[in-house]
Amino acid sequence: MGSLELIVEKHTERIHHGLEVLPTLKHGLPAGLGNKRWTGELILATYEQALTGELPMNGLEYKTGNSGGGFDVLGWKSHDGVAKVDEDQVDLSISLNKRGEGKKIEIPLPIYGGGMSFGSISLNFMIARARAAKKLETYTSTGEGGYPDQIVPYRDHVITQVATGMFGVREETIQYAPIVEFKYAQGAKPGLGGHLLADKVTSEVAKMRESSMFTSLYSPFPFHSVYSVEDHKKHVDWIKTVNPRALISVKVSTPTDVDMVAIGSYYAGANIIHIDGGYGGTGAAPEIAKKNIAMPVEYAIPKVHEYLVSEGVRDKITLIASGGIRTADDVAKAIALGADGCVVATAEAVAVGCTHCGNCERGRGCQVGITTTDPELSQFIDPAWGEKRIVNLFNAWSKRLRIILAEFGLASVRELRGRKDLLVRYK
Amino acid sequence: MQETGYRRFKIESKPAPHAYPIPNKFDVSARKVRLAGMLLHEAFEYKFKKEVVLSRPCIYGVFGGRFGGFKPIKQKCVGCMRCVQEYPHIMRVKPSDEYKRLGDSFWTPEMVYTIWNEAATGKIPVKGMGYKGAFGGEGFDGIWTDMSEIVRPTRDGVYGREYISTSVDIGRKPVHVNFEKLDHTPTTLEVPVPIILDELPAGTESDDVSIAVDRAAEQVGTLRVTGKGDHSQANLPIVDEKQIGEYKQTPRILEFDAQEQGLLDKLLSDFGSTILIGRLPLKEDTSSMVSELVHRGVHGVHLYADYHGWDYSKEPRHISAALKDTHQQLVREGVRDQITIIASGGITLAEHVPKAIICGADLVGIDTTVPVALQSEFHGETQNRENCGLKPRKIDPAWGTQRLVNLMSVWHDQLIEILSAMGMRDVRRLRGDIGRSMMDSELREQSFKGIAWAA
Ligand code: SF4
Ligand code: SF4
Repeated sequence: MGSLELIVEKHTERIHHGLEVLPTLKHGLPAGLGNKRWTGELILATYEQALTGELPMNGLEYKTGNSGGGFDVLGWKSHDGVAKVDEDQVDLSISLNKRGEGKKIEIPLPIYGGGMSFGSISLNFMIARARAAKKLETYTSTGEGGYPDQIVPYRDHVITQVATGMFGVREETIQYAPIVEFKYAQGAKPGLGGHLLADKVTSEVAKMRESSMFTSLYSPFPFHSVYSVEDHKKHVDWIKTVNPRALISVKVSTPTDVDMVAIGSYYAGANIIHIDGGYGGTGAAPEIAKKNIAMPVEYAIPKVHEYLVSEGVRDKITLIASGGIRTADDVAKAIALGADGCVVATAEAVAVGCTHCGNCERGRGCQVGITTTDPELSQFIDPAWGEKRIVNLFNAWSKRLRIILAEFGLASVRELRGRKDLLVRYK
Repeated sequence: MQETGYRRFKIESKPAPHAYPIPNKFDVSARKVRLAGMLLHEAFEYKFKKEVVLSRPCIYGVFGGRFGGFKPIKQKCVGCMRCVQEYPHIMRVKPSDEYKRLGDSFWTPEMVYTIWNEAATGKIPVKGMGYKGAFGGEGFDGIWTDMSEIVRPTRDGVYGREYISTSVDIGRKPVHVNFEKLDHTPTTLEVPVPIILDELPAGTESDDVSIAVDRAAEQVGTLRVTGKGDHSQANLPIVDEKQIGEYKQTPRILEFDAQEQGLLDKLLSDFGSTILIGRLPLKEDTSSMVSELVHRGVHGVHLYADYHGWDYSKEPRHISAALKDTHQQLVREGVRDQITIIASGGITLAEHVPKAIICGADLVGIDTTVPVALQSEFHGETQNRENCGLKPRKIDPAWGTQRLVNLMSVWHDQLIEILSAMGMRDVRRLRGDIGRSMMDSELREQSFKGIAWAA
């Protein structure tokens, strides 16, 4: 084995070892790890769940962060006196197509993977996510960076994203897709479009995106072909012409009129309205956008859910929430607030070693091989290892979801939807 | 030669690195005996292959010095935590004590770092993997700005194709034209960004700082408020009654203490064509005082809170609430469009500018941010206008100018990010447009309605 391989092997082993040892707290809670949203404990608890597929047993906080609002100030009402159901009998499946027509797609847990594009993340991590989606019988999304050949074998579990830059959007990538996701906006940079820094545009990325190497890529905002619901309907028709089987998801941010956007999307033919709040992840975004533009998803979910109910179409469209879903409890709270299910991306990155340090765009990119195109660093994530960890994480989350539902006597996650009455608020 | 044609407004930034060393954000240390043991162990494990044994976990060069992990180069640490992941029994990384001590009860270490870096680089702060701070909060933190899914202008506004105007006019706008008195038509003064540099906090102004502030204001094309009687192009002097006589020519713009009885009338009679801005502390009765000033002919008001953004009411309100109050009162009276409102106090980050404007200001004045950008030292609380805990350091005026120009440049760019997300082409449209904002307190009550409080 050459030195380079040995170096990669050495660090890969060490990182994997660290991910096992750190959650035991044998060496204490690392003081520099985490932040208000992803606390050090939450990160370690995620490592632990990704390792074992079980909920942490050593007292690590795995339910909430410390942000002082949103999901972090919501808890569960006492279930004393409620007749419990058997955890193993709890059904976690949700439907992604509630319309009368089109293919019926159900996923066995109310979670699928969010768009993280080729170029902003490493190919190995992208493959790991696709493999995990297949194993879990759910989906992952390409993000807007195109469809690498290496994920074609998992295409029945890959959502093709069509975003404003149209990078890598081709007839065949639309035809592969069981679900096509229009990304109108992204919570972490609402109204601002995407930006891939020049350093990450390697020859493979440039080829995939049909652009020039090492030149920054901006996706415009908004779609320059869509300025109304009618224009959006034309977009849907275009996809349906290319791939009549595909379900349509519309990913939007959370402006004041997010409820109107949702109903417009429904009437334009969407099967899924996916609202992405500002506190979610991204390769890189201006700090001012993440903190200040558009409302957190915790506030947007009830607004959209209740509006769809009042318009009488709630049972004809699937409402998916994302942008700051870190734990199984966050998923359950989002559903209790009115979502059908959630899209998760950052937690998958944490499962494979992300520390939420925010250095994704610095220098060579992510030091543990997640958000990087650096040939050496990318190798730290072996797709099979990554797959296992993501599958384990969601298995642990499924256990937690079953516990929550069983305790409230709910036999299906679908019964939790909109049950705000099961939540309590903390000051 | 006279310049003709179209010129896109852009504030040119240039690197102006910190003149004084800044505290390391992270403190990195290794348990030395364990580190030596690990090196020995790895030497055998990797058969003394030097490049493998000495290959470090840090891609930022923290262990790249002669003594490797025994003497880490702490200033290079970005807190990625990979060394801790790889060697949890050896490595310790934590936020440094010096970093944690930065600022005061209002200025968090993160805010100080943000301003330093904006002033040093002129670049918008960008980070990966989502937001890391608290959920909403008080004051400006409890306000989110709106975005639009489908309307123009777009982010292209920042990068090229479409123009978003950040200019505002200072002065009184007539509601109708009086053809009999055309020579008495009040003038307005246009500044290309809705930001002026307010009077420097007491004790933070040295001669060099003053030169830097002057030049920066001039370079950007904005104004600096000053109590000194110096009449340079960029100055917006504050005058008292005694100083009125010192003016040989009619100044184009003045600020005055609007609490001083009779001063406005005197200024109106002595300086008919000067733009007159009355300075007033924000408190319970500010709305009625401003309303009275409007009726007496003032051209604008400069409303200020303390340096932490709290007004001077008996039960202090955040400047955002106090501004809304005054703005809405003037709207109700039908006079809001006649005057300019400048707001200052606690406007310390780029995001505070659009939020103050949404709450009703036409433009803002920045205060403690200026000495912070110039690396003044914190010596206690900065809240008090008479006794602000910032102490200036010796600076080179050229360096100071560039730092402030960079700051304005990056705030301008961030303002455009906010405006473009909303689909607005002109910052003037943002004024008082509360409908394009979302309040944490209101959304919480609407969205969490029906959720019981925990016992
Ligand atoms: S750089 Fe940091 S935040 Fe970004 S993916 Fe890697 S570990 Fe996560
Ligand atoms: S935390 Fe990251 S940047 Fe800091 S010393 Fe460790 S590996 Fe290097």
